[in-house]
Amino acid sequence: MKGLRQYIPFFALVFLYPILFSCNSSTTEMTFDSSKLRKATQEETEKVIEQFIMAEDSMVIEIPAGFYALKTQLILDNKNHITIKGAGLTETVLSFRDLKAGGEGVKLVGNNITIQDLSVEDAPGDGIKSQHCDGITFRKVNVTWTNGDKSKNGTYAIYPVQCKNVLIDECIASHSKDAGIYVGQSENIIVRNSLAFGNVAGIEIENSDNAEVYGNTVRDNSGGILVFNLPGLPKSDGRGTKIYNNEILHNNHKNFATALSEDPNGNTVTMIPPGSGIVILAAKEVEIFDNRIHKNKTVGLAIANYHVTGFPMDAPNWSPFTSNIFVHDNDYQRTWHFPDFTKEFGQLISVYNAHGFARTQDIIYDGFWDKTISDNIQSNPMKICIREKEMEKIHFTLFDLWEGEDNIKSSKDYAPFNCEVQVKTDVSAIANL
Amino acid sequence: MKSYKKYFSINLALGLLLLVLSCEKKQEETTNSKVEISETEAPLVETASLDFSQIPFKNLSDYGFFKGKLKSLDPDEGVLLYEPASSLFTDYAHKSRFIWMPEGTAASIREDDEGSMDFPDNTVIIKNFYYPADFRKPEAEKRIIETRLMVKRNGVWDAYPYVWKEDQSDAIYKVVGAEIEVAWTDLQGKEQVINYIVPNKNQCKSCHNEKEQLVPIGVKAKHLNHEIRFAEGEKNQLVKWQEMGYLSDLNDPTTYPAMVDYNIPSHSLELRAKAYLDINCGHCHRADGPASTSGLFLTYEETDPLKLGINKTPVAAGFGAGTFKYDIVPGQADQSILTYRMSTNQVGAAMPEIGRVIVHQEGLELIREWINGLK
Repeated sequence: MKGLRQYIPFFALVFLYPILFSCNSSTTEMTFDSSKLRKATQEETEKVIEQFIMAEDSMVIEIPAGFYALKTQLILDNKNHITIKGAGLTETVLSFRDLKAGGEGVKLVGNNITIQDLSVEDAPGDGIKSQHCDGITFRKVNVTWTNGDKSKNGTYAIYPVQCKNVLIDECIASHSKDAGIYVGQSENIIVRNSLAFGNVAGIEIENSDNAEVYGNTVRDNSGGILVFNLPGLPKSDGRGTKIYNNEILHNNHKNFATALSEDPNGNTVTMIPPGSGIVILAAKEVEIFDNRIHKNKTVGLAIANYHVTGFPMDAPNWSPFTSNIFVHDNDYQRTWHFPDFTKEFGQLISVYNAHGFARTQDIIYDGFWDKTISDNIQSNPMKICIREKEMEKIHFTLFDLWEGEDNIKSSKDYAPFNCEVQVKTDVSAIANL
Repeated sequence: MKSYKKYFSINLALGLLLLVLSCEKKQEETTNSKVEISETEAPLVETASLDFSQIPFKNLSDYGFFKGKLKSLDPDEGVLLYEPASSLFTDYAHKSRFIWMPEGTAASIREDDEGSMDFPDNTVIIKNFYYPADFRKPEAEKRIIETRLMVKRNGVWDAYPYVWKEDQSDAIYKVVGAEIEVAWTDLQGKEQVINYIVPNKNQCKSCHNEKEQLVPIGVKAKHLNHEIRFAEGEKNQLVKWQEMGYLSDLNDPTTYPAMVDYNIPSHSLELRAKAYLDINCGHCHRADGPASTSGLFLTYEETDPLKLGINKTPVAAGFGAGTFKYDIVPGQADQSILTYRMSTNQVGAAMPEIGRVIVHQEGLELIREWINGLK
C-alpha cells in the first residue's frame, strides 16, 4: 500500500482529504439530557461515596434521582450479594467529569453484584469496571461521554474483566474511545438486549470463554462487534463465542481511538476501519448466525488473523490464527457509500478486494493459515466455515497476503469454506440472573 | 497514510490553537490565611491497652503512637521507624513510616522471592505524608497532610486514612477522601503549589491489593534489608526488628532479598530502574495485582522481557497509549508508552492511576535513561 501513497499527487490529496473523511460519519447523539436533572448536594454526594465504602455483604445501595458530580471514585471492595440501584437510567446520573484521580469512575469487586437503573457519565478512564467478580450483572445501565470532542472520551464504558458469570442486559454504551461494552479475560458471558452506538467498537469479547452475544443493536460505531484474542495476557486464549440475532447497522463512524493526524498506536482497536460490522481476530470457536448486518460500508464480517496487525506474535499458550468459525444464515445489505481508506486494513479491503475497487464487502478472510497443518488454504486448515443462504450474491473475498503488500492477491472462491463446524457454548446458568 | 500526515497536523494545530484560545484561565483564589499552629500536646494513651475492635478511632491521637505534640511525630515506645530502600512517589510528599506490634508477638519472613512477611494480629503500620515548607531545610517547618494506618485484625488487614487539621493539632478519620492545596519551596528554590489528593478509603486497595485482599507493600524483606539510622547508630532494619522482638527466626540478612535505592547513582542503572518500577508500579503490575489484566509485570524479580513490556502492545490503555505501539521500545524512551504515561497528568492516562497529580521528573528521567540504554 505504500506504493499507492507515494503516487497520489500533493494537490489531489488536499481535495481528496475532506471527501474521504466526510464519508466517515460522527455522532454526538445523546440518550437523554442529564443537565436538566436536579444537582445532588455535597452531602448527598458524600453519602453515596460513604455507602460504597461502608458496604457490607447483602446490602442494597440505593442512589436516589439526581445528578451527582463526583470528584473521587466509587469503589466496591470485595463484597458479596450487593445491589447498586439508581432511580432509573435517566433519573440517577453519576458524573465523573471532575474526577481527580483513578482509572475508572466506578469499580466493582466481589461476588454476585448487580448494578442497575443508573447512568455513568464522563469518566476520564473507564466508566464502570468490574474485576475479579463471580456473578456480575449490569442491567439498564447507561454509560456515556458527553464531551463534544470525542477524542477526550474514556476507554471502555462497561468493562468487566477477569470475571466469571457476567450478564449485561438492556444496557446502553456510547461514545467510548475503545469498546462500549468490553468483556475481557472472563468466562460465562451474556451480552443481550443492549445498545451500543457512537463508540469505536460497539461490543468486544476479548480473551474470553463461553460467551453469547444476542438481541443487541450495534449501530454507528466504527466497528460493530469484535471477537479478539490478544497475546501476552494472563488469560491467554479465549474460545467459544456465539453472536446471533443482532442488528449490526451502519457502523460507519470515524475511528477516533487516535487523532486523525496519527497512525494507529499499539491498541488494536485503533486499526479498525470505519464501516466494519463484525471483526474477529485470532479468535477460536466462533459461531455467527441470524444477524442483520446492514450498511456497514467497508465490510460486513472480517475474519482476520493476528498477522494483519504487524505486531509481534510470540506469546505463550496463544495462537495468532483464527480457527473453527461457523458463519451462517446472516442477512447482509451493502451500501453505496465509499468504503474506508483511512486505515491500512480498510485500504486493503477497499482496493484489493475481488469484486472491484471501492466495493463494499460482505465477508472477507485475510487468508493466513497455520502452515504446519496444511500447505494450502484450499483444504481449509483453520476450519473457517461459511454457509450463507445465497453465497453467489455475497461479496466474499479471500486474500493472500503472504507475500506482503507488494503482491496482494485476492479471490472470490468461497468453495473451500463450505462446511460446518460445531461451536459449543452454555450460558444457561446465567441466563436467568 | 503517512503522506496525509502534514494535513492532519495542520488541522491538529488549528484545533489545538482553538482549544488553547477557548481555554479560559481560571483564576483560583489562593487563601493565604495562615492558621495558627496548635502547640497543645495529645493526651497520653497506651496503644497496647486499646480495644482494637473499636478501630477506627475518630482521632489519630486516640491511638497513642506519638508522645508530646502529635505533629512532632515523636514515636512512643514500641513504635519503630522504618524506611523502604526505594520509595513510592507521591507528589514529592515526604513520608515517615512506623510499625507497632503487640508485646510478645513477632513477624516472620516468608520464603518467597520478595521476602514478604507474616504479621501478628493487631500489627499497626503508620505512614505520615508531609511537606517541609522549604525542601532545602527538611527538618525545619513542615505541614503534615495525612496519616494512613493499616491494621491487621483476625488475619485481615484494613486501611484507615486520617486527614490532619490545619492547626496540626490532630488528624481526623475521613473515608471520602479530600483535596488539599499544598505549597512548598523545592530544592531549586522554586515555589510549588498543587492540589494534593487524599484518596478515599477504598482507593487504598487500588495499590494495596493482592488477590483482592488488602496487604501492606513496603514491609517486605527486600524493601527493609538495609541499614538506616537509629538512636544507637546505623543498623540493618531486619536486625533491629529482631532486637525489638518484632521479627522471629532471622537468619543472616545477606540470605534475604534486598532492593537498591533508586536514588543512589552508584547502583547499576538496571537495578535502579527496576527498583523504581517495583515500588511505583509493581504493587499493581504483578500477577496477583489489579493490573494483571495488562500482562505487564513490573516487579524487581520479573525477568521475562515481554512481561516487562519490551515490544509489548497494550491491551486496555485507551488514550494512555498516546501515539505509541509498545510499552517499552528498547533504545527509544520517546516511543515508549511507559514513559508517556509517567509524563502525563491527564486523569485516565497518567500512571500510577492514583497518588500523583504532578510528574516525578527525576523518576521519569531514570526510566528514560534505562530504556534508552536498552538494546
